Amino acid sequence: MIKSSLLKEFIETGKCRSCPVIDMHQHMGPFQGIYLPNSSAEAMIRTMDRCGVKMGVFCSHAALIDPEENVKMVDVIEKYPNRFRAYWCINPNYPERIEDDLERFSRMRGFVGFKFLSDYHKYPITGANYKPALEYADENELLILMHTWGGSPYDSPAHVEKIAKKYHKVKILMGHSGFGEWEKSIQVARDYPNVYLELTAAVRVNGLIELMVKGAGSEKILFGTDLPWFDPHHGIGCILYSRITDEDRHNILHRNAERMLQPFL
Amino acid sequence: MRLFDCNISFGRPMIKPLRYSETARDLLKEMDYYGIDEAIVYHARQKDDSPDVGNRILLEEIRGFDRLHGTLAILPPQTGEITIENLIESLRSENVCAFRAFPSEHRYLMSRVSLKPLYGLMVERNIPLFISADESCCGISRWRLIEMILSEAPDLTLIVTDHGCWGEDRFFRPLIEKYEHLYLDISGYHMDGGISDFCRKYGADRLLFGTGYPHLNPGGTILMLMHADITSREREMIASGNLERILRRIKA
Repeated sequence: MIKSSLLKEFIETGKCRSCPVIDMHQHMGPFQGIYLPNSSAEAMIRTMDRCGVKMGVFCSHAALIDPEENVKMVDVIEKYPNRFRAYWCINPNYPERIEDDLERFSRMRGFVGFKFLSDYHKYPITGANYKPALEYADENELLILMHTWGGSPYDSPAHVEKIAKKYHKVKILMGHSGFGEWEKSIQVARDYPNVYLELTAAVRVNGLIELMVKGAGSEKILFGTDLPWFDPHHGIGCILYSRITDEDRHNILHRNAERMLQPFL
Repeated sequence: MRLFDCNISFGRPMIKPLRYSETARDLLKEMDYYGIDEAIVYHARQKDDSPDVGNRILLEEIRGFDRLHGTLAILPPQTGEITIENLIESLRSENVCAFRAFPSEHRYLMSRVSLKPLYGLMVERNIPLFISADESCCGISRWRLIEMILSEAPDLTLIVTDHGCWGEDRFFRPLIEKYEHLYLDISGYHMDGGISDFCRKYGADRLLFGTGYPHLNPGGTILMLMHADITSREREMIASGNLERILRRIKA
């Protein structure tokens, strides 16, 4: 049996006082293709409380579809300022709106940066329509959570590398860690100081956490769940049972995110 | 909480996973690491190789290990590669408790025309059939394939493993309501609130603990089940009770 004080506490109580988890990849609200029992802000908070998740950074499902929905996330952040921050979704299919999006973003509080969902928007992260948002994020040292997937024509780890070569101050979170192209994703996270591996969905792959810690270091890995999609206890369990140290587990589950979110708290 | 895992494989698969157990002995060490007491298993060669070859490898590997219970890969009996007599003999004399279908890899029609004698045997003796939700046959895949199997053998005890983690309740709930001997393993049921919501509506007796080892990290499913918002009784049923009940019904 594994020896870890963190695991012991999580098993006994479902949470851990010394390890307040931060979830860097959340959504909110109902979704097209999935029945989600716990999709409201309040239901998500109940889940977060049950699992010892202190804070989540989300982009609502509605905002992924319609740029006009971004502004509605402010209501949630204002209602629960200690539990949520948000990503403003950039939809590259409406390039005529992006300048206005950035102007509105600059006036809002509670956002940490942008969300790119290129595989779903079917537009490459290296395309010209993303350039204004990338330049803005770089200039203001914001975060961008990019959906990334192995072999994708829109957001593979190789696409991320092209962005990272050009923009050095923006923090790039590789959502799903370039699912499937593990070696390339790890190489990009290792070689570029501003690129991080984000674990949503990837966390379930047996042996992957160990590979990432060895290849990129636990300081470059962030916890995420797609909540209200995945039960945080599932992802937390994958990390706790991986063959890494408790220091690594602290880094992944909260310390890296705490550092990253400091300017936005 | 006693853990009886219904979804584990071992052996060296053709496509190398990041982590795996080459032998039954290695697998037991892994189970000890995670605190898994018992498991229903198959060998990677049963899927990747001829099922007859794979079945023999499985039986040799698990012989003498009481914590491991084997499942035998089936084929349509018409070719004579795997006979019903041999399957029954293995059930009687070896540590085997169920059958398993890999119609994609072994290329056969998962239909009553092909499998009528086997379906009859399994129903008559309450022998469970395991199938992954990832399987397909002749262009029919996933839940449509499951629906086809159950529509042709509604009394079959069918255990569906590996359903996708991207919430598939819209697919499987209608089947759960219609077919009382359909069971789901929870190795892919990662949806927040999924298990508790399912239990509130249908009770806990249709869900089985499974990890999907070696492809999936067992730690996730273990912690998720430990703290799912369900009663202790429901947790015990999912963790081991339901599977033990299914196995007790078998008439070998």
